[in-house]
Amino acid sequence: MAKDTTIQRNKKNKIKTSTGEKIFTVFNYTFFTLLCLAMLYPFWHVIMLSLSSSNMALRGGIFLWPKEFTWTTYRSVFKNPDIYTGYGTTLFVTIIGTVLATFLTATTAYPLSKSRLHGRKFFSLLLILTMIFNAGMIPNYLLIRNIGLYDSRWALILPLTVSAYNAVIMRSFFLSIPEALEESARIDGANDIRIFFTIILPLSKATIATILLFNAVMYWNDYMSTVMYIKSTDKWSMQAVLRQMLNNTQQAMEKAGFSVLVEETANAQTIKAASIVVATVPILIVYPFVQKYFVKGVMIGGVKG
Amino acid sequence: MTTASAKPVKKPSERGKFAKFGRDLLRDKWLYLLLLPGLVMLIIFKYIPMIDLRIAFMDYKPFKPETSTWVGFAHFQDLFTRPAFLKVLKNTLVISISKMIFGFPLPIILALLMNEMRNLLYKKISQTLLYLPHFISWVIMGGLLMTFLDPDTGVITSIITKLTGQHITVLLDKGAFVPMLIISDIYKGVGWGTIIYFAALSGVDPQLYEAAAIDGARRFRQLIHITIPAILPTVVIMLILNCNNILNAGFDQIFMLYSPSVYDVADIIDTYVYRIGIIKSDYSFSTAAGIFKSVVAMIMMLSVNFAAKKAGGGGLW
Repeated sequence: MAKDTTIQRNKKNKIKTSTGEKIFTVFNYTFFTLLCLAMLYPFWHVIMLSLSSSNMALRGGIFLWPKEFTWTTYRSVFKNPDIYTGYGTTLFVTIIGTVLATFLTATTAYPLSKSRLHGRKFFSLLLILTMIFNAGMIPNYLLIRNIGLYDSRWALILPLTVSAYNAVIMRSFFLSIPEALEESARIDGANDIRIFFTIILPLSKATIATILLFNAVMYWNDYMSTVMYIKSTDKWSMQAVLRQMLNNTQQAMEKAGFSVLVEETANAQTIKAASIVVATVPILIVYPFVQKYFVKGVMIGGVKG
Repeated sequence: MTTASAKPVKKPSERGKFAKFGRDLLRDKWLYLLLLPGLVMLIIFKYIPMIDLRIAFMDYKPFKPETSTWVGFAHFQDLFTRPAFLKVLKNTLVISISKMIFGFPLPIILALLMNEMRNLLYKKISQTLLYLPHFISWVIMGGLLMTFLDPDTGVITSIITKLTGQHITVLLDKGAFVPMLIISDIYKGVGWGTIIYFAALSGVDPQLYEAAAIDGARRFRQLIHITIPAILPTVVIMLILNCNNILNAGFDQIFMLYSPSVYDVADIIDTYVYRIGIIKSDYSFSTAAGIFKSVVAMIMMLSVNFAAKKAGGGGLW
């Protein structure tokens, strides 16, 4: 029956597809093809630029393939010690931060999903208010100084662990779990913490994965925290190191042991391109595989910027 | 709380109520324990800083806090008489409102166009690629922009030169910097912006389209009468969220790309607060600027939410 109607609909559509609609379809596919190319090309361009010789890079233009292929730029980029410390900090912050933030989001959201909990409205309000009013940059900065986190990698982790948005997403998922699932465990004498870890968390794998990824992206991309809270360059995150390399390529080249004036194998253009690639490739590799979880998260949460 | 005469009558039930309350707390003790760590973090990192908002009303001495004196609203008065701040406020509004005007409708249009794609594989690939820039940090986007806008070798620079005959360094040009901010912001966010509208579109009953087709409605009419009404509530919600950002012109983005030669047009409240507060250590004045920003954001959000509720669009809460 259902099949019949679809066939009928298709037939009807076929008859009815006007010239205008055909033109629109062609236009639409062409438009999205161009748009997709526009999204991909910048990344392709820097990869190819970073693999080209400095002479060709200086001539500029479109880079569809490496011009005079060479690895030397990468060799010199990896001579810069900041790359390693930057990656070290970023990996540390991303791994610890992601796990901690996701764990805290789940443990905060779960009690708030229980209507029997006294004070639930108050605690939820406490959470929601942080979305509406923010103390701002300077008080946050002073807090970090006052509690002794200044110039510590933990300053990159702890302030970002509680996110009202993520907690709201998590809570609306917990609300959708039927109460009956917990009842049997409660009769067996399990307490709420046990129920949370053995029943609720395993049921929430998909949502947890989404929150994990949101957090991972946030920590991986964060550079303002470094700018504000970290003084010693050896504790800088990779994004901050990259920013320094881009804004002050000359200095970065000196750190990599270049004598700036006579060097011919690499120049500011190719060094910049290679630094961008080094910082971007992990995301480009992981992204296609995890993309669907992000989409799912937005569908669950309804609203998430 | 209760008056003396009412006391004897009310007491037993009150006691019962308290006892029940106590039992409930005891019953849920593990839930409270679970809530505790998150709550502590929330209080430390979101609420304790609010205590320091008081320094906006003081002449705060960072190295001798005990000698600070209260000055009332002096810093706020200063705020609105300092030409530097007024310029920064104007820049913030110009940038954020232009971003909203150009950036808000585009994801809606894109989502509607994409919704018309019948080839699912093609649609899927397009979505994946369009979401990608959202996950790239502004540092990397900044690096890409520097490469493409390089005065000597940049691809976009040479295109501009070919089209207009002028050679401009976009990142240092007062006229071109703000349009660059808007375009690059759209580039980064437009694809991801569509996702929320897809969430709304996925809830539309396909039978509606079938019924409309049988009644002779073509794709354009289906769009007008089915698709657009379906996403309208989402559009309202997104508009509310956008208004909350009226003074957020994009700190990450601008901090990465600006330089003294474009301060005139690109310096926004956040970058200004950063320079005055953290670099120059004028905490009181910069906190006042920060409070102004937070209060405006709060008022905007609450009032637009209220208006949306009144209009029947359904607010956020």
